[in-house]
Amino acid sequence: MKAKRLLALLLAAALVVSLVACGGSDKKKGDSEEVNLDDTKIEVCIASEPDTIDPALNSAVDGATMLVHLFSGLAKWSQNDDGKLEIVADAAEELTEGVKNDDGTVTYTYTLRDGLKWSDGKDVSAKDFEFAWKRAASLELAADYGYMFEVVDGYDKITEVDADGKAVNPDAELNVKATDDKTLVVTLKNDVPYWNELLAFPVYFPVREDVVKNDKWATDPSTYVCNGLYKLDSWDHDSLITLKYNPDHPDADKVKMGTIEFYLSDDANNQLTNFKNGDWKLIDDVPTDEIATLKEEYADQFHNVGQIGTYYVCWNINENILPEDSELKGAEAEAAKSEIRSALSLILDRNYIVNDIAQGGEVPASSFVAMGLTDADGSEFYKNTGVSEDYVGYFDTSAEAFEANFQKAVEILKKYYKYDESSKKFTNMPSLTYLYNTSEAHQAIGEYIQAAFDSVGITMKLENQEWNTFLQTRKSGDFSIARNGWIADYNDPICFLDMWTSGSGNNDIQFGKGDNAKVKAYSLDLTDLGFDTKVENGTWAETYDVLISTIKACTDSEKRYKLMHRAEDMLMSTGCICPIYYYTDLYMLDSSVSGFFSNPLGYKYFMYCSISEGE
Amino acid sequence: MNTKTLWYIVKRILLAIFTIWIVITITFFVMHAVPGGPFVGEKEPPKAIKQAMEAKYGLDKSPGEQYVEYLKGIVTEFDFGPSLKKKGRSVNDIISDGMETSLKLGLMAAGIATLLGIVFGAVAALRRNKFIDRFIMVFTTAFVSMPSFIMGTLLLLIFSQSLGWFPANGTKAGGLVLPVITLALYPMAYITRLTRSSMLDVLGQDYIRTAKAKGVSGPRIIFGHAMKNSLIPVLTYVGPMLAYIVTGSLVVEKIFNVPGIGRAFVNSITSRDYPLIMGTTIILAALIVVMNLITDILYKVVDPRIQFE
Repeated sequence: MKAKRLLALLLAAALVVSLVACGGSDKKKGDSEEVNLDDTKIEVCIASEPDTIDPALNSAVDGATMLVHLFSGLAKWSQNDDGKLEIVADAAEELTEGVKNDDGTVTYTYTLRDGLKWSDGKDVSAKDFEFAWKRAASLELAADYGYMFEVVDGYDKITEVDADGKAVNPDAELNVKATDDKTLVVTLKNDVPYWNELLAFPVYFPVREDVVKNDKWATDPSTYVCNGLYKLDSWDHDSLITLKYNPDHPDADKVKMGTIEFYLSDDANNQLTNFKNGDWKLIDDVPTDEIATLKEEYADQFHNVGQIGTYYVCWNINENILPEDSELKGAEAEAAKSEIRSALSLILDRNYIVNDIAQGGEVPASSFVAMGLTDADGSEFYKNTGVSEDYVGYFDTSAEAFEANFQKAVEILKKYYKYDESSKKFTNMPSLTYLYNTSEAHQAIGEYIQAAFDSVGITMKLENQEWNTFLQTRKSGDFSIARNGWIADYNDPICFLDMWTSGSGNNDIQFGKGDNAKVKAYSLDLTDLGFDTKVENGTWAETYDVLISTIKACTDSEKRYKLMHRAEDMLMSTGCICPIYYYTDLYMLDSSVSGFFSNPLGYKYFMYCSISEGE
Repeated sequence: MNTKTLWYIVKRILLAIFTIWIVITITFFVMHAVPGGPFVGEKEPPKAIKQAMEAKYGLDKSPGEQYVEYLKGIVTEFDFGPSLKKKGRSVNDIISDGMETSLKLGLMAAGIATLLGIVFGAVAALRRNKFIDRFIMVFTTAFVSMPSFIMGTLLLLIFSQSLGWFPANGTKAGGLVLPVITLALYPMAYITRLTRSSMLDVLGQDYIRTAKAKGVSGPRIIFGHAMKNSLIPVLTYVGPMLAYIVTGSLVVEKIFNVPGIGRAFVNSITSRDYPLIMGTTIILAALIVVMNLITDILYKVVDPRIQFE
């Protein structure tokens, strides 16, 4: 036993020594001295192993975070001296203005900066961009985010399908051309206000034809050729991805962090232990039930920043919620259902959900288009919904307004259901089932909604399904009411609006599908905005789909935003979307780290980080 | 080795192959019957892209055709196909990476568990009802009844978070110490108890009494006579235990962030990565089948009284 004890002690001592030795290399030299980048290292954990770090195939935020370090696209997100985020030129000399063509298309011409090199030493050419974009948009690659090129002329032809779902133009290509090694010319279908932001999106990053010929190129550092501030130094699958700065990049002098180690973990508890240990300086996930404690104990290290997304509850539009003996039909029935759903949305106390259940600094939501998206004049889109001067969004989410909202809801519901004054409950409301994907957080919110509905006499069962099954069930419309959430890919409200057209694969609510396809209950009048569209009592396809096409074809920015407000008004008037809160991105950052920033899409930037001594 | 033994082994190998084939078949069809799919995501791509994706991985064919093709791939090239989620990686790569870690972890844990288990068990048996026996029994009862997620979390709290002796991350130097201990404790406790009772049983038998009567020394009785026979039940446990540790270490892998096969297995199911589900299931099933086979054959080696039928 003695020998064993001794051995254990020795082992522990050896470990402590080795850990101290490792820790030493983290330290930065004093500010007065020149910092040697080779001595700087930050260890972070943003997620588990990314599915891919091929810029064209990636569709995840964690993959994107790595990619913005590894690649230089034409544009990038940057933080200016005031701490404000902006899109600036990266591989391009400047972000030029587009030139409008006679047919309404817009052509942009970019010149590449000098000195851009691939990590294997070859020059970056405009042809690499042309190749990369065509590849990313091709059916052959079948990338999840290929549709990010839908604004580019030619993309619609690529994805056009016949009745059997077969592509009809196998030779179609994007309208992008490298006229020489330095010049890239691209033509968009029309003026796209968020074009520069798209250029900073990883799917628009360049790759080289000879590199990606090997379809395993992006899984191994020896074949991974990139053109950004960092190179892929090592990838220990499912454990660790290490990036080392690239001294040959034209902006290498601005880099402050020599090595970034992305540890790969999907367990929030494990991440937290490693953060508390001081091993990992940033973790992107914390256990839900620890949030309240962490907010107090680590007040200066616990961060939640706005993210352009909305957590909401969606109704299946084809679910009949009218009382059995209701005689309402067609448009009248649809109007009644819309009114009922909107009323039920008012009986939920969003402040309670945010403060006592979710607890992650979320913001109560009163619109579908999330907080953080900008309007035509640069103000926040959700603040301009224009329903009332007194509050923001489609209803008042303030704590004081809750009682009045609740009473208003009860009054509306009384029009359709029998109300028992003594129990203060409705007696003939159909029972519902709330579908959510298995997770404690979603369950807690589901239970709250169940209790809130029960207070007015609605019986609601809770049903949870495993994620993938849940997605399938919700997509196919096999639910009455379900948990939902949407996070935008770029800062433009259209991300939240074009998903509800009748043909969209993301139309979970089933607008214009099934029974709703024939319901003529929707109206659209755009004459006041100078369009000749006027439909009264049309189907969803005749109204909303037309409105979305109009938005996509509209080149006048101000009008376009007005049209988008119309689209959201139309969506919200159905009551099918019951917004709960606007998402926030929650992470923990060690207080010794400075120079860190993240963008509204959740990408984290470590290149300008430095770690102060004494930690 | 006589022909009877050889025939038995051949028969068992054939049976093992048959078992694995059954596992493949059931998994394949159940997997395709589960709702959802590898390309179902929160953001639905355009139809043309989705079709192109399915065509790329042969998912546009009928399950029957896919099944035949899949079997052909395994039998002729031992190729489990590409992962549908981890773009550019083959299932073979993912499995061999995960297996390497899991085997390392599993073998270390199994080795420690077996060695310490036998030693503690023998000590407890020899000092029956003495303090040391009671002491060992109390602890082994605790370890046997404590699930690994509690033990793992406890060790993590004490040795990583509070004392800071070991990293909370299996990929760092020294990171495997805590997961190995967590994994080893249960089987060690079990083996201790098994060895103790089996040793007590053997020590009470006539041939031991005879040896004692003839004046054979204590250690010789234990190591020369009693040990070999008392280890037969332990042996039956060790084989399946190894398979169990390697395949069932998911919880420990999660707690300590160890990149093993268990995590790949569970993630493949939630993401409907069909080839990876198949690959991991087959390998894990094969491991269990093979370990059982080896155990059965080893029986014969340690105990010639056992007859093959």
